[in-house]
Formats: sequence, C-alpha cells, structure tokens
Amino acid sequence: MEEMRLLELETHSAFENMAIDEAIMLAVKEGEAPPTFRLYRWRPSAVSIGTFQSMKDEVDLAFCQKNRIDYIRRITGGGAVYHDYDGEITYSLILPRTHRLAPDDIIESYGMICAGIVSALKILGIDSQFKPINDIVIGEKKVSGNAQTRRHSCLLQHGTVLLDLDVVKMFQVLKVPAEKVSDKMIADVKQRVTSIKEVLQREVLFEELRAALVRGFAEALGIEMYARTLSQSEESTARRLAEEKYSTAEWNLSR
Amino acid sequence: MELIEVNALREYNYKVPGGKLVRVKMELDDENITSIQILGDFFLHPEETIYTIEESLLGSKLSRKDLLRGINSVMKEASAELIGATPEDIVNAILKAASRGG
Repeated sequence: MEEMRLLELETHSAFENMAIDEAIMLAVKEGEAPPTFRLYRWRPSAVSIGTFQSMKDEVDLAFCQKNRIDYIRRITGGGAVYHDYDGEITYSLILPRTHRLAPDDIIESYGMICAGIVSALKILGIDSQFKPINDIVIGEKKVSGNAQTRRHSCLLQHGTVLLDLDVVKMFQVLKVPAEKVSDKMIADVKQRVTSIKEVLQREVLFEELRAALVRGFAEALGIEMYARTLSQSEESTARRLAEEKYSTAEWNLSR
Repeated sequence: MELIEVNALREYNYKVPGGKLVRVKMELDDENITSIQILGDFFLHPEETIYTIEESLLGSKLSRKDLLRGINSVMKEASAELIGATPEDIVNAILKAASRGG
C-alpha cells in the first residue's frame, strides 16, 4: 500500500503553519521529502484570508490587534477563515503534482481528498457530503472548508474541520459582506455553519478528532501513514519563510 | 487654487449564483480603466494570473466585448483555470462597478 509521511498534530502560530506548508512543498519539489499529511492547530487563534482577498476588507484588524489574534494571507484562494485554537483542527496534504490524488480536474481532486474528511466524520458517527467546489456539509450546513494551490511542482490542499463554533467571535473578527451572507436568503450563519459538537450534542475531545482524521484520511485515500517530524532543512526553510514572508505586512497586506 | 481631479474608487461586490464572490475596485478616466483590483474568494490557477489579468485591463474600454476578450486572452496564454467564477462574472462585476458612478 502506498505510504505517506504523517506529521502528528502540533500547535504553531499562523506564520509558522503557513511557512511549514510551503517549506514541505519546496522539499517535495527537490525530492527531499515524501508526500506528507499534517495536522495542526493555530495558537494564537488566527484569521487567514484567501490569496485574492484584501486583508483590510475581510478582517477587523483593530479587533485582532486588541485581542492578540493573528491575521495572515494564504497562498491558496478561497475565503476568510477564523482558526479558533479551541475550535478546529486544520490539515494539509502536500503531494507531487504527478500524484494520483492531483488529477488535472481540480474539482475532482477536491472530491478525492475531501473524502478523507467525510471518512473521518463517519468514524465519529456523522454522515457528511462533499459539496463542490470545496466544502464538506452535514445536511445544509458547512463543517469544513478547503483550499488548493498547485505550485512548486506540488499540490497543497489544506482545510479546517470545525469541532466547536464561536459565532460571536467569528463575526467580530471577520467582515462579511451582505451579498455573501444573504445567499439563498439565509442571513444567519448558524443556519449555514455547524460543528462536530453541535451535531453530536456532546463534548468531543481534540484527541478524538485527531485520531479520526488520521484514520479517515488513511482509509479514504488508500494510504498507510508513518509518523515522522520535519527535517532540519524543512525546519530551517520554514523559519526563514515565517520571518521573511508570512509575518510581513508586504505579504499579508499586499492587496 | 489648482483643482486636482480625483478619480473616485468604484467598487462592486458581485455574487456569482451558486459560486463565489468577485469584488472589483477600480478607477476610471472617462471610459478607460486606470486602475483595477479583482478580489474575491474564488480560485485561480496559477494564482499569479490575477496580476496579468489586472494589468491587461488597464487602459481598456468599458465594453463587454473588449473586457471579455482581454481576460480570455490572458487566461488562454497562461493556461489558467478559474474556479467559482467565470471571465463573464468578472466582466459583469467590472461593468456594475463602472455604472455605479464615481
């Protein structure tokens, strides 16, 4: 069975997390790293915006600064996401561009990889569906958002899985335009977004979700994961990227 | 006192039915685009194509035909793929932003 490196659940800052993603891509490009699946949390809690968004449009910067919430621009498209340390686990999958999970059909690719989340949720006793382009929904409500980029001869797909949702905090951090919120005449985010805790109506430990994600992705993608850490070289690249790119205003506020 | 003409920023949020949001911010000089930013939560591969699209629209007339041809030409040359929006959606957003008045 095909093998994949697993980087076990770790907690890092927003800048480190995005830097690690790119550092792994660069290592995979050089043939120095294998296909990799990683799980992570964000501390401090942070908001990330898609690569085509404007930070000032999407994020209440004053609120974030006052409440020590980090804000960062991703290299992937998509929307603004609040990464609550207490509310979600994020995964990243990094593959060579030629990998079978990176077909030219991008939406097909989203479906293949998001099957890992559907599988993980099933392990937790939840029925969910992949909703193209890039969502996982439980009924009508979104529980996971995902985003992909293809660069450095790699595919990177990362996404969040909501364990718990602090709607109040989310709306304080994000500026959501009316045009988007009133899609299908539904203005209340509680009708459009849900969390694992809300669906199961019980306390769910991070450990439960972590274990389900590792097993879910392994089963759905047909891969065997072996746990490793970043190489020295990847760590050093990640440090440099965090410092020189991801924590800079030049990158984050460039649009 | 010399009056400096300020081009008001024209903005429009275009929600693609069943898709993503395209936000256009631009300045016009009479009928031509003098600055433009195409923002949103769509996907574009490769991502850098957005800059090429924006640059190619500078000096463009506000005709649907010209705008669409410009964007499609850039997309084709870059072998680019837009997901969650189409070139037509971007053109719609531009024309809506233009009609808003400075």
